[in-house]
Amino acid sequence: MSQNAPQQSPSAAGTVRASPNHDATAPSDPGPSGRSGGGNWGRVLVGLALALGLSLLLAHGLLVRAQADRGAERAQRKSVVALLGLTDLVQRAGGTGDAVGAVVAGWPRPQGGAARVIAFSGIKLEASTFPEDTGDKAAPRRLSREEKPLYDRGQRLRAAVETNSEEGGARKSEVESETLPSGGRLLSAPVQVDGQVVGSVEWFTPVLTEADPISWGPALLAFLLPLAACAGAVFALSRQGARVAVAAVLFAAGLGGYTVYSLRTLDAELRETEEAVSAELRTRGETAQKLMAAHGLDAEPALKPGAWDADAMRRPLGQLTDAGVPDAGKLAERGARVRGDAGKALGALGVLGLAVLLFIGMGALHRTVATAVEFRQAYAYVAPAMVGMVLLVFFPFAYGITLSFTDANLYNSSQPLSELWIGLKNYTDILGDFSFAKTAADGSLVFNYLNFYYTLLFTILWTVTNVTIGVTVGLLLALALNVPNLRLRPIYRVLLILPWAMPNYITALIWKGMFHQQFGVVNHVIRMFGGEGLAWFDSPLTAFFTALATNGWLSFPFMMVVSLGALQSIPGELYEAARVDGANRWQQFTAITLPALKPALVPAIILSVVWTFNMFNIIFLVTGGDPGGSTEILVTQAYKFAFERYRHGYAAAYSTVIFGILLIYSMVQNRMSRATEAA
Amino acid sequence: MTNLRTLLAALCLCAVGLLPVPSFAATELVLWHAYRAEEKAALEKVVAEYNKANEAKGVKVTTLAVPYDAYADKISATVPRGKGPDLFIFAQDRLGGWIEAGNTVEPIDFFLDDATKKRFIPTTMDAMVYRGTTYGLPLNYKVITLIYNKKLVPTPPKTSGELVTMAKKLSDAKAGRFGLAYAYGDFYYHAAVMNGFGGGVFDAKTTPTMNSPANVKSVEQVLKWKKDGILPAEPSSALITSLFNEGKAAMVFSGPWFVGEVAKGVDYGFARLPTLDENKGTPMKPWMTVEGVYVAAPSKNKEAAYDFAKFLTDVGAGKTLALEGRQSPANNAVYADPKVTADPLLKAMKDQVDVAIPMPNVPEMSMVWTPATSAMNSVLKNTATPKAALDVAQKSVAKDVAGLRTKK
Repeated sequence: MSQNAPQQSPSAAGTVRASPNHDATAPSDPGPSGRSGGGNWGRVLVGLALALGLSLLLAHGLLVRAQADRGAERAQRKSVVALLGLTDLVQRAGGTGDAVGAVVAGWPRPQGGAARVIAFSGIKLEASTFPEDTGDKAAPRRLSREEKPLYDRGQRLRAAVETNSEEGGARKSEVESETLPSGGRLLSAPVQVDGQVVGSVEWFTPVLTEADPISWGPALLAFLLPLAACAGAVFALSRQGARVAVAAVLFAAGLGGYTVYSLRTLDAELRETEEAVSAELRTRGETAQKLMAAHGLDAEPALKPGAWDADAMRRPLGQLTDAGVPDAGKLAERGARVRGDAGKALGALGVLGLAVLLFIGMGALHRTVATAVEFRQAYAYVAPAMVGMVLLVFFPFAYGITLSFTDANLYNSSQPLSELWIGLKNYTDILGDFSFAKTAADGSLVFNYLNFYYTLLFTILWTVTNVTIGVTVGLLLALALNVPNLRLRPIYRVLLILPWAMPNYITALIWKGMFHQQFGVVNHVIRMFGGEGLAWFDSPLTAFFTALATNGWLSFPFMMVVSLGALQSIPGELYEAARVDGANRWQQFTAITLPALKPALVPAIILSVVWTFNMFNIIFLVTGGDPGGSTEILVTQAYKFAFERYRHGYAAAYSTVIFGILLIYSMVQNRMSRATEAA
Repeated sequence: MTNLRTLLAALCLCAVGLLPVPSFAATELVLWHAYRAEEKAALEKVVAEYNKANEAKGVKVTTLAVPYDAYADKISATVPRGKGPDLFIFAQDRLGGWIEAGNTVEPIDFFLDDATKKRFIPTTMDAMVYRGTTYGLPLNYKVITLIYNKKLVPTPPKTSGELVTMAKKLSDAKAGRFGLAYAYGDFYYHAAVMNGFGGGVFDAKTTPTMNSPANVKSVEQVLKWKKDGILPAEPSSALITSLFNEGKAAMVFSGPWFVGEVAKGVDYGFARLPTLDENKGTPMKPWMTVEGVYVAAPSKNKEAAYDFAKFLTDVGAGKTLALEGRQSPANNAVYADPKVTADPLLKAMKDQVDVAIPMPNVPEMSMVWTPATSAMNSVLKNTATPKAALDVAQKSVAKDVAGLRTKK
């Protein structure tokens, strides 16, 4: 592993700091790929090829995806039309009886498709055209045990319909669709008779690929033409800057051309989809009329096939007019939206590709690779830690921040985050709410304990008091222990460090018990002296005191250990000299001890501020935020938002705000401590 | 290079460790519960009976007692990922949350026949229903009732009027004696009075109704009792226990958990909570918690699991749980056994449950506690009128509920 260390020892000696120097020397270094003599035409061509190739590959991939999505959407909408049309007829037939079977049999199906109707009353398979439901398994019959999922699905739809109507919203899907392992799609919708959901209709379509495949030709053309042009230009031009500029223009032209092509394709596909759905709707509508007449079904209210083209909430999409033809205005609007989205995606691709082009063309890649190769050992050592950091720190962190822009909560945790996007609303809700106190009728101030600023204020108060107590007590004890020739010093030290050595949740629970109103030792002592025991957790001030006492107990040993170490490193001669100069004890303390302690204490205080600010255990276990959330600090409040009110997005925003506060604090602190170091 | 080789070897070993261990045994069902002591022993006895009877079928149930503190979180974390048990026992208050989160609790309407449904006390069955679908079989229930010191109260009061006259005679605030003691600041206990007045925290559509006139009336009622001097100030559960044990509280409203805390020498009895003269004699209706047996949605053996759940909630098992575990089974037929009704606690629970109503199992319930407790506190400390305090609570709960139900 270390065989190349000797050659590299000069640069390796300054590994970390030398990288700027190294970059400056690299171009003069005639490396295997650095053609400094004949100009870097190779880089420009490779850069363009890579950038254009990559962008076109991605653009092509996106186009194929979009095309497949359109195809899936077309199949889905046609299936929904068939499903809701059949449901409409089943509802008119009353959801049960022979007419249902006749309607299901008469409803046209695609090759390999099938439908069935479930009735909740009696857990029955009312009608079915599935091939397995023939012979002695023919409908109507009771569902067998293996068919429990069918029944459960129907019940789920019923619950969804009832939930949506109760809440006056559309929260749950009223049409379920899933892709079966065989590749087919199974859709189901509730059967609603007289306002009650009495069963469900299921519609199966085998897998259908309706999207036209996209050919590679245009992409290839958009790749080769600019590349050929660039090759010519590169040899004609001599300045590297000009070459890169030409390459950039050609890149834009290539990608732009392909963009125009793909937008056109998408537009045509969109129109085709609407027409296909519209045709489906018309034929299904006519069939429905015939079936209704043939089986004497209820013709009231009039059949409205337009409503069958609906979303998962059974709300009509409104893409088609009542007559079932594509609505030109809506189509144009939708087209513009799709074009806008596609344009945005391709624009981003362009920026990315241009960055790649410049990165390679201007030689940055070359330098990066050279550095990576030269310090490969260092990178190899750092790699496992980096992977760990990315997985355990950066990914959850990025996920948390993303979550904070959404409205994720218990009810919608199964939906993708992009559908829950609400932008900065959580932040404006948290930071824009200034109602943290109001005056009551009798003139007293009533705090709104749920307000962010109240909690922030409380957290700051909590941090400042705690750190003050920790530093003061710790320093006093350290001074006491530092008395020369103190007997049994090791024993005292061990005893005083013990609170720190115990797991803090155990300490917290013990202290909570000590403040118990009835049996707590604190109230016992008060009663021993004739006082009346306090209900510690019933008023904000006393509850705050309990948490403060607990955390004070936990935090002084750390400060004590730090100060003690620093105290022992102060040379005794300083004090001797001070005594000779006639300084008294206090003057010695302020002029010698404190300045000498500063380098050790300042980092300790910075650390302990951060710890205390986020001291979840103590608050959560000792006061639990009682009474009424008044002793909640920011982290525990965020926890309550996430796990008591189930508002995950809001809690994520809350946590991000906490992170921001600590970030600002540490930046300010850093600057200040650097100043103290310099002084 | 040897380092690299060692690293590779270590990685391979890790990968082997990640491979799933093949499972054996015909049908093994795992049941999680949080019971301790005799409750646990009784449950294990029932399980052993079931295993013996079903040995031939190759079904074996194993139980795991999970510490209660971590129990709910453990279920939320493991069951949806298919790492949990086949069945678990839990109170109904978390049911709604688990159903909304999905893939946790299996709906059992499909298996459930009318005969099985009818064998339970109807309200306990209601507790297992969320949005019209049944998700579990009720096993036990707990409810608060009137517990009185027989030496001080020869015959327990039937109405709130009797309660107040009786309690006034027994109260002497200076000597620290009270006719009645219960944690009236705790919203769970207060619910008995609130429901008695016809109030509640949600309407049929799960819209919060914290400040309904009935709720306001119920809080005013408690305030009146407090002003009558029959209730101690700041009634923590520990205070109530010690007052009762010292003979300084004649009557308390509490549940079966209180019985374990009563001192040996105290002769106590149970009675149904009194009716409310102030509301045309309607009974006080405490909230009950029902522990249900649920089939886990990702379970591979749902049918076998349901079969066991049925067995566990049957009469035979119920008797064992009642007589040996001293729990109150939800199965109605258990109470036909004179040995069960001979236990005063079980009899009292059964008496009370007839007028109890199940605590809501909707996830919105968890948003009620904090605002409700603050409202009770501010009323009892005279910082707000009942109406004003409940208005604040209503606003807070409504805001949280609206935050949860975003519309698309």
